[in-house]
Amino acid sequence: MKPPFLIGFNFVREQRWPILVLLLWILLLAFLGLITDMPRGREDLLFIFKQVALYVVVFSIFFGGSAIYNERKTRRILAVLSKAVGRQQYLSGLVLGVTMCCGIYCFSLGMTGSWALGEAGFPASQVWFLMLCVIVACMLAGTLALMFSTFLNPFFAAGATAAVLAAPVLLTHLGLAPWAEAMPVYALTVTVMESSFRAPGSPLWSPILLALAETIIFWVLAARIFAHVDIAVAVE
Amino acid sequence: MAAVLEFEGITKEYRNLPNLRRLRALDDFTLQVEAGEIFGFLGPNGAGKSTAIHLAMGFMHPTRGRGVMLGAPFGHAATRRRVGFLAENVALYHRRANRLVRFYGALNGMGGPRLLQRATEVLRMVGLQDHASRNVGRFSRGMLQRVGLAQALVNDPELLILDEPTSALDPVARVVVREILLAARNAGKTIFLSSHLLSEVELICDRVAVLHRGRLVRQGRTSDLLHAAGQTEIVARGIAASQIPGAVAQNGALHWRTPAADQRRIMEQIWTLGGEVVSVNPLRRSLEELFLELAAEARPSQRGPS
Repeated sequence: MKPPFLIGFNFVREQRWPILVLLLWILLLAFLGLITDMPRGREDLLFIFKQVALYVVVFSIFFGGSAIYNERKTRRILAVLSKAVGRQQYLSGLVLGVTMCCGIYCFSLGMTGSWALGEAGFPASQVWFLMLCVIVACMLAGTLALMFSTFLNPFFAAGATAAVLAAPVLLTHLGLAPWAEAMPVYALTVTVMESSFRAPGSPLWSPILLALAETIIFWVLAARIFAHVDIAVAVE
Repeated sequence: MAAVLEFEGITKEYRNLPNLRRLRALDDFTLQVEAGEIFGFLGPNGAGKSTAIHLAMGFMHPTRGRGVMLGAPFGHAATRRRVGFLAENVALYHRRANRLVRFYGALNGMGGPRLLQRATEVLRMVGLQDHASRNVGRFSRGMLQRVGLAQALVNDPELLILDEPTSALDPVARVVVREILLAARNAGKTIFLSSHLLSEVELICDRVAVLHRGRLVRQGRTSDLLHAAGQTEIVARGIAASQIPGAVAQNGALHWRTPAADQRRIMEQIWTLGGEVVSVNPLRRSLEELFLELAAEARPSQRGPS
């Protein structure tokens, strides 16, 4: 069980500069929201918080979609997979790494959000529930992107992931709302976006559980596909 | 002796985008590497050497055929715990050398004081003990190759698979690597070595195989292959060059390169003419000469690209 953790932590280490920039962004927003005397409404503050929270879902797609590609392009994957590391373990490490990167972002945002929004009267427990929704959405989005990236380049993998994640929007418009719930990232982002001071929202666990189950399914699928990939062949 | 690495009728084809044309990198490739030997794997660029190594490591899947490494089929993850691998153009994470070696050791299930000790030991073996706390991102290519070798050795592997391990090294570092490999063989390890540095291969390899366009064109003991088939060199003095045809005067002596069958006749002629035979040796050719000879033989029958 050790290799996935080593690979996951190594992934976070490799992504330290993007993560640092994202953390600085969160701190800058917190600084502008709290320390300065800028006139602001508390609804504006919540809106910015929700928007910044959802950015990380997009980042998770980029993290997941480019992980294998970068490793293959730099050929660093060869030294890792020359050890007693199975391809499933390798993918588990990458999923863990993507989740940890997004987790660091969500934790920082949760801290600043519960501080800033708490002072404005938004329940801190609800901030953390929203962060839970976001991190679970990130896990699923990142794993889906990782699965597509086992056979597509990062650009197409990101596009395919975005298409799958956005499918519920189309299905809802087509009157197929029940099917829209099959891809819970949309439901989770809606939960985040619809929370307000008047209606912070009550925790809904079904999309979270469904997202966790789908993360496992896509991870298994990714492992199945990746097991047949010739990783030493130069990437396009 | 038991084979630790075995390729059995392996064919590997790539599909070339965008026209999906099939490119054959290996064609019905069969080879056995025995325990405790240093096996040299030679061939020109594009011969399929790296493909064969990547198949053995499980980085790729054969189109046809099968292979066994240390008793398990190619690609068996747990078996790789007993294998050390160094890729051509080694690419490693940018970390401090000692931490990097420990990271790769940990991936192989090592840990604790044993890993710490072994990481220090292998960095000392490759001559990087003074650079152990430097980030490998700032290393020269030669140093990077030595760290690569250190990570391959960290688990004290039974089988070392090295793809061009000395290509970026200076002569001093090459000697160090040569000594490491010879010490490993003396300790009972098996080394599968792909290299373009034929003089290195000639010095240390027990057996060699030559690959050309995905096909095995020659294999055998290095000493056997280097004996020019049935040729002998006779050196004599005390007679004139014109007395026996085919002699070349060199450093005050006469040299004949002659088929072994004519050896006795020429020696008797020398003695009859009152000359003295200084030496009679089976003629050796260099690995480079053999390599060029095989490449020339293979050229007229070139088939698909590799």
